[in-house]
Amino acid sequence: MTTSCEAIQSRLVEHLGEVERLADGERRHVEQCPQCCEAAAAERALARIFARALPPADPELEARVLAAIGPARRRRRVLALLPVAASLFVALLGAVLLGGLPGGSLLALLPMWSSQGWVSLAATMSDWGTAIGTAVGAAGNLVAPGMVVVAALLGLLGVTVVVAAVRRWRRVSPWSGGR
Amino acid sequence: MSFDQASDEQLVRLAVDGDEDAYGLVVRRYQRRLTAFLAQLVGDLEIARELSQETFVRAWSALERFNPSYRFSTWLFRIGHNLAIDHLRRRRLTTVSLQRTDQEGEEVEIVVEDDTKDPLGHFENRELAVSLKRAIEDLRPEYRELVLLRHFAGLSYQEIADLKDMPLGTVKNKLFRAHTVLRNALATFL
Repeated sequence: MTTSCEAIQSRLVEHLGEVERLADGERRHVEQCPQCCEAAAAERALARIFARALPPADPELEARVLAAIGPARRRRRVLALLPVAASLFVALLGAVLLGGLPGGSLLALLPMWSSQGWVSLAATMSDWGTAIGTAVGAAGNLVAPGMVVVAALLGLLGVTVVVAAVRRWRRVSPWSGGR
Repeated sequence: MSFDQASDEQLVRLAVDGDEDAYGLVVRRYQRRLTAFLAQLVGDLEIARELSQETFVRAWSALERFNPSYRFSTWLFRIGHNLAIDHLRRRRLTTVSLQRTDQEGEEVEIVVEDDTKDPLGHFENRELAVSLKRAIEDLRPEYRELVLLRHFAGLSYQEIADLKDMPLGTVKNKLFRAHTVLRNALATFL
């Protein structure tokens, strides 16, 4: 067997003896070389034997798999809630550490908003904006600008984590598009 | 585009979003090849079917961790291969001798014949089935695994190279040599 024969027979093994899948030059060689021609026929016969060696399909396997992934899917939904819960906890903790939640005072303002309408609401939001602006200005005076940038980046990272966690959770939640 | 024309990666994406029908198609697409591959590894068709089921369930549970830059087939077969190895390790620990002593005090091996468990039990030509089984068993282990991945798992050379973390040229070379051995062993059937 020449080097060329060995290379071509290796290609025949790769293509299960199908001569038509070889390059033109290789195909011409096989047509003229009895050894390679015989090797091609043997490879085709071997491929047929292997094709018959595959067991018949199990018609119930798919149903069994789909039945088994139900509990796994429910487990995944519960596990997916953990990052959401953890990130919400961190956010709440942050709010508490920054001076407490304004929930109580906002609720107390609700009757006033309902009687005085959107003007009151806008005024309240404006007050909040002023307060936040003042706080940021004060922080800028007290803390080095570099620290403010780091704190802002951390805050942004926190928000990104919360958004990512919520998106992941929504994907596997029972009321999302998937079943 | 219908499901049938969808690539593995497209089906996997749908399955990650909770589409069980898409995953059902993945199961149909791979079940015969996966079962055939596992049956050759563990030598028992029934156990291979159980391992196939386990492989598909585990793959589904880990779909979100699947890296789409790799081929789904190699990932799935790697999970199956690991499960088969675990099974063989466990079986080795619990294996009991199939030998007993007959009335004359001689050791007799108990032969368990069960075609439903034989990975090649469906072969009509029993002589060919026995020869094929023996030819595969007689291959060097490094060749045998590549032959199983190629002809039972139906993986391409590149997929085998990825799965085995082996250069493509080595895969080609080893399969060429393995085929030379197989063709000699099965010459009467070719």
